[in-house]
Amino acid sequence: MSTELDVFVGNTTVLDEDVYQLWLDGHTVSDAVRIRMEAGALQECEANAEILHSDTMDQFRTFQMCERLLQSPSKVANQLLFQIPPHHQTMLIERYYEFDSVFAREVLGKKLSKGTKKDLDDISSKTGIALKCCRRQFDNFKHVFKVVEELKGPLVENIQRHFLLSDVLARDYAAIVFFANSRFETGKRKLQYLSFQDFAFCAGQLISYWTVGAVDNMMEDLNVDLEKEFLHDLKDLKVLVNDKDMLDQHKSLVCAQLRGKIKVFSEMEASFKNLSRALVNIASKLTHTKDFRDLFIDLVEKFVEPCRSDKWTIGDLRLFLKHYSSSVRMLEAFRHQVIWDRYMGVIQSCILKMYHD
Amino acid sequence: MECVPPCSDRPGFGEETPGVPLSSGPPTPLRAQTFSSFSPSKSYSRQSSSSDTELSLTPKTGMGSGGSAGKEAGPLKVFLRQQTQSALEQRGVSSSSEAFVRTGEYPFFTLTAFPPGFLLHVGGVVSARSVKLLDRIHNPDEPETRDAWWEEIRQEIKSHAKALGCHAVVGYSESTSICEEVCILSASGTAAILSSRFMQDGPLDVEHRFEEVVSPGCGFCHIPYDELNIPFPAQLTYCYCCRRYKVPDVLFTTIDLPTEANVTGKGCLIQARLCRTKKKAQGEGNATAISNLLPFLEYELHTQLMNKLKLRGMNALFGLRIQISVGETMLLGLASATGVYLTALPSPGGIQITGKTPSDITYEQHISNMQKKINDTITKNKELYEINPPEVVEEIIGSPIPEPRQRSRLFRSHSESSDEVSELDLSHGKKDAFVLEIDDTDAVEDIHALLTDFSIPAGFYSCNTEIMPGIQNWTSAIQMFTSVRVFRLNTNLTNQGLNKIFSDLCENLLKSLYFKLRSMVPCCLCHLNFTVAIPEDELIQVAVTAVAMSFDKEQTLENGKQSGEKTLIKAITDEQLQFSLELNAETSSPNPLSSPKGLSDVGSHPSARASSVDYSSFADRCSSWIEQLKLKAHTIRRGSVKTTSSMEKASPLPEGRSRSLRSNRSYSGSSVAVVKMTPLSFIPGAKIIKYLGIINMFFIRETTSLREEGGVSGFLHTFIAEVFAMVRAHVAALGGNAVVSYSMKECVFMENPNKNQAQCLINVSGDAVIFVRESELELTSVQPQSATTQTSNGGEGT
Repeated sequence: MSTELDVFVGNTTVLDEDVYQLWLDGHTVSDAVRIRMEAGALQECEANAEILHSDTMDQFRTFQMCERLLQSPSKVANQLLFQIPPHHQTMLIERYYEFDSVFAREVLGKKLSKGTKKDLDDISSKTGIALKCCRRQFDNFKHVFKVVEELKGPLVENIQRHFLLSDVLARDYAAIVFFANSRFETGKRKLQYLSFQDFAFCAGQLISYWTVGAVDNMMEDLNVDLEKEFLHDLKDLKVLVNDKDMLDQHKSLVCAQLRGKIKVFSEMEASFKNLSRALVNIASKLTHTKDFRDLFIDLVEKFVEPCRSDKWTIGDLRLFLKHYSSSVRMLEAFRHQVIWDRYMGVIQSCILKMYHD
Repeated sequence: MECVPPCSDRPGFGEETPGVPLSSGPPTPLRAQTFSSFSPSKSYSRQSSSSDTELSLTPKTGMGSGGSAGKEAGPLKVFLRQQTQSALEQRGVSSSSEAFVRTGEYPFFTLTAFPPGFLLHVGGVVSARSVKLLDRIHNPDEPETRDAWWEEIRQEIKSHAKALGCHAVVGYSESTSICEEVCILSASGTAAILSSRFMQDGPLDVEHRFEEVVSPGCGFCHIPYDELNIPFPAQLTYCYCCRRYKVPDVLFTTIDLPTEANVTGKGCLIQARLCRTKKKAQGEGNATAISNLLPFLEYELHTQLMNKLKLRGMNALFGLRIQISVGETMLLGLASATGVYLTALPSPGGIQITGKTPSDITYEQHISNMQKKINDTITKNKELYEINPPEVVEEIIGSPIPEPRQRSRLFRSHSESSDEVSELDLSHGKKDAFVLEIDDTDAVEDIHALLTDFSIPAGFYSCNTEIMPGIQNWTSAIQMFTSVRVFRLNTNLTNQGLNKIFSDLCENLLKSLYFKLRSMVPCCLCHLNFTVAIPEDELIQVAVTAVAMSFDKEQTLENGKQSGEKTLIKAITDEQLQFSLELNAETSSPNPLSSPKGLSDVGSHPSARASSVDYSSFADRCSSWIEQLKLKAHTIRRGSVKTTSSMEKASPLPEGRSRSLRSNRSYSGSSVAVVKMTPLSFIPGAKIIKYLGIINMFFIRETTSLREEGGVSGFLHTFIAEVFAMVRAHVAALGGNAVVSYSMKECVFMENPNKNQAQCLINVSGDAVIFVRESELELTSVQPQSATTQTSNGGEGT
């Protein structure tokens, strides 16, 4: 005897959040049944394996049918096929777009193209995330990117409006779109210690302060391109390291402020010029696409690593950056205060976020 | 109220039904069975002109070729003849319903619920079946032959009802099962005596409605037949409520539990399932084989029902529906009903098992173990369903028929074994035990079925009637669902094996439902409607449609029965169904009748006009209002720009409607209105303010890419979801927000996996309504109708 057909359809679509998660995680039906049994589903309602299997099949089928709708979430509320209560709609959408940060970290900065899609096998075996699940997440990234690419206005809001996601999730997607658009180098060995959340934070900073949209949010097209004018202006900061007087003055100002306040004072004093040169050089080269893409690797190699080898604590670093940035105001000959503040504000918070093991 | 019209062109009941005389012994033993009859492919012959097809007078030969049938028919025949005799005698007896008998009127009511006081007495279930050959109809396009078949069956039903001293049949239904050229026609209903006041013409006198009812809680249980001329062996006692009238020991009915009935504890769904193999045969031989199997099938279904009822400590069945499906190699029987403990009826005795070979000690041991198990189950069930009837001293009134203990109240055949049963000594114990003898295979199956039925999970109740006695305080959470399963059987199964598979199939389906709906507990699955079919050889299809309704446990305890009764009566009488329907016709007909604007409105929804909304059913009523409508339409044309909004003016509660729709919308935050669906006639906690018409839709879906759509399950899942969606969309387009009395009348599924193809036909129906939450209704009545409401109506009405 075998079951040829087995369906259950409710006027209000019956959804089990736990089963949904199992489906999203890319489990097969039999895997999901096993997991549910281990989680004690059999204790409920005098169930047995057969019932659990039938229920899981039904649920998986329902989700599969809903998937088409979930790909354009605004349709979920307007479709007629499934009568889903609003709170369930929100849950379905939010969960569908949630992703594993481990996976996102792997894809970050890569072109969201077919080429990358082929690498998903490797990512799947590396991260232990089911291939099916990887595909869904990758397709979501690609889909969100494609939709917002064409839209004007603030990125995060656009994502929220079109995909009905929570604020937190929309920000994460903004970071992914930003990285995919700017193609930052994130895959180098030296950057491996950085998590997705680190990068997402940096992306948030860059989007908020350096992009076109940060200045004028009525711009056409995707406004996550960095403002060209600003990048160009950054070249003017070179005076800080090229002008020897100014460099010395800057150093003495910072040292005066920090004396006795940080443990690594002597190391700081010794490496001040190198560190300052590094930060200013990074700034001045951002107009070149290649150097721009290397922003994070440059920050790590030229700033984070020297500090780390001198065993700076995070507190030392915070104090140093604060005074390094603010002392410039006291340099009378320096006339690019606004550019400097805009640059250092972001760099400062990025470095602090990136400064960990 | 829908009545199957009594056949006026036929001779009155008193005359003999044409065809085979009832008392003509040898030729048709089965036909002669008093209350449930099987006419093996005979009746068409009256239409036939060719003599070689005269089946009717030669069933004996048919049975002879059937093999063992002749042997079994022997004792059965004798017994049946006895019953026939008593039935014939009964005909002469005049009863309180004499007036009806004289005029030859036997109203058939397909309704299952009635206003309080309408049912005076309920006699019991009456049913008739007949096996016919479809290929013998000469002009299949003409309905005459089929009409004659049904007429004959109705006559039989009438005679059964009459034999029970009743003049009407309520909860009546007819069904067919067809396999190749063989067709089983079935009809069943509940014999009853109705209040004559309700049957008279003219307006109902509300004041006098309740006069006739002596005791509303138990009146309908009192026997309608003469106890001295009892038409069948039964055990009568004085009513446990009023102690004045006699009641039977068990009562089976096809109707819903009357709202005023006194019930102890809760009820539960009881199912009897049976599968019987049958040799592949053709035409006449096949029909005869089926005819021979049917009585045994029914008998066993009935025994199962009785056993299960007793095992739950209950004494009455409501909503009984017996479905017989015929396939090439098997017959399938599924009986579903809701068991309850009627306070008026005596407490059922236990079940006692006896063995045939008492000398064997291990065997004795085995039996006593089983006995213990059964006793434990009964005790457990009584607790579960809260059956604690007050202890009353018993006075059993001797039955005039010599055998005092009988298995059934449903007037089914008693096979040989029943004789043996009555010879056993059952006098020990307080109650008469219901005896199961486990030496024959049937009994083993019975006991097996008894003990394998799983107990319902905590927090769940189930019934196949509209509502569950003892549960009130429904919350607004309802979930209507349809579940379909198809099983492929292995070949060469024995009867027992087949039985077990079928029974497990139903059990597992139920278990699955409980599991799926576990988030709704405490809840009750109401109106559980099982439909079985044999779509192909070796395939069994079971479809279930029901509604799960949550209820508030705390409140049930506090408020008890009273508040619930109030709600129920409200649901049934307070709605003033007739009145609302009139309003509906009134408001929906101006469009097609008088307003050109309205016409174009309807035209924009071609489907609304084409088939699905059955306006024609209101045609009669409409004609009497046409004058009124014309007046109204005139006002509409003169006074309003928007037809829809002026339609609203005619509606008694327009604000209510717009309110409910708007609130739905704001809730879902989208343009899709929420539409509730339920197979019941009411929505808990809500008042139906307008009936918008019948939804009756047929859908056919075919696929040639079955695998790509997720196989048969994927295909059907999508299809059913789409059917629901289309019904909802349709109701929303009519301005409604719910479908009540929803049912899936047909679900025919065929597949051909090799060709990657499948087809499915679904027929659903229901009533589109507008409801408002009772809490909202209070608000609405205060709020005056504003201009903004009008505007929003205009938008939504189209």
